[in-house]
Amino acid sequence: MKFKDYYETFGLPRGATQDEIKRAYRKLARKYHPDVSKAADAEARFKELGEAYAVLKDPEKRAAYDAMGSQWKAGQDFQPPPGWDEGFEFSGRGADYGMDQSDFFEALFGRQSGSGRQAGMPARGRDHHARVMIDLEDAYRGAQRAISLRVPELDAQGHVVLRERRLDVGIPRGIRAGQHLRLAGQGEPSLGEGPAGDLYLEIGFNAHPRFRADGRDVYLDLPLAPWEAALGCSLTLPTPDGSLQLTVPAGSAAGRQLRLKGKGIPGDPPGDLYAVLGIALPPAVSASEQAAYRAMAKAFDFNARPSMRGETS
Amino acid sequence: MSNADSQPVRGVIVEEEIQLTLVELSQACRAPEAHVIAWVYEGVLEPVGEAPQDWRFTGSALRRAKLALWLSRDLEINPPGVALALDLLDDIAALQARLERFGAR
Repeated sequence: MKFKDYYETFGLPRGATQDEIKRAYRKLARKYHPDVSKAADAEARFKELGEAYAVLKDPEKRAAYDAMGSQWKAGQDFQPPPGWDEGFEFSGRGADYGMDQSDFFEALFGRQSGSGRQAGMPARGRDHHARVMIDLEDAYRGAQRAISLRVPELDAQGHVVLRERRLDVGIPRGIRAGQHLRLAGQGEPSLGEGPAGDLYLEIGFNAHPRFRADGRDVYLDLPLAPWEAALGCSLTLPTPDGSLQLTVPAGSAAGRQLRLKGKGIPGDPPGDLYAVLGIALPPAVSASEQAAYRAMAKAFDFNARPSMRGETS
Repeated sequence: MSNADSQPVRGVIVEEEIQLTLVELSQACRAPEAHVIAWVYEGVLEPVGEAPQDWRFTGSALRRAKLALWLSRDLEINPPGVALALDLLDDIAALQARLERFGAR
């Protein structure tokens, strides 16, 4: 297990006041919340912030953490010294959004339990949340993903221990980014007699070099040579589900979108696939290439800037 | 509890196939029911049904409720502020989607 420096997470010295910690947490959390931030590592950063804040905002936990001494460095191999938590009582809640906490946090503060549970309710296991990244192609065809979860269980002595659990999940065809899969009974087991909670998986798409998904519609850029755009052409278009033959009509302008109905993410109704046309300009390097451009200039009575007529020559 | 590794677990797509009750939604997002009720009265979430026990939330309420919980618990934003923040985030998401559609990244 590696030591985690919760002060370093916030860029604060160990003597920081509670107000400074709160301010630093809020500033960074606003920046890295996965629903707000576009940064690739936002989710991991946000998780770390939540965990660090759960410890430092709680005076008891912070005191216990501080009492381990300042000689530890982040990333250093670490085991909690025996009796390190003597005299401290942890009653506050953790960074409890149903996400995994680090081994380090679990070893020190154990599983935070009891949040949101009301007296008299059957002790149903809690719902668990995780995020799964898939490729756009998986949404077209359906897929299977192995995910690993850490679930609390009672060992023979009645202690709560974390166990790694692997789960093969069927990703249904037609799922879209941002949607959730609910797997009934696959959340945290009840520590008593109640039923297990549910597992919610939020689906995200890995960035694709060619396609962009927007809901159930999918977009791709389709560059054309000037003569292909002007005269029309037929070409082979790649789609996430194999390629197909596309006819580009004559007189296609840059920015025009050709819609391929029903070729987006499958469903009822299925999405559409849009080819966003662009014009790629061939460079005029050789003498014959330059001659071709000059011939074009001569053949066309064409003003590229009609709106500036009279102002430019 | 063990799972046969050969047989993948099937799930349902929350946003399309199910509706959530008040109890289910508050369990799923780990927010107290009183919070969820306050958000409904502020227009953050829009269930169908009259009384809280009859409310049915669409699956897309789950993401909003999770975000609302974070805004109210960690940033101490009150329900009207949560409603405003979520509306603005929706607007930003729509604009970003529009940008991406045209290839700007």
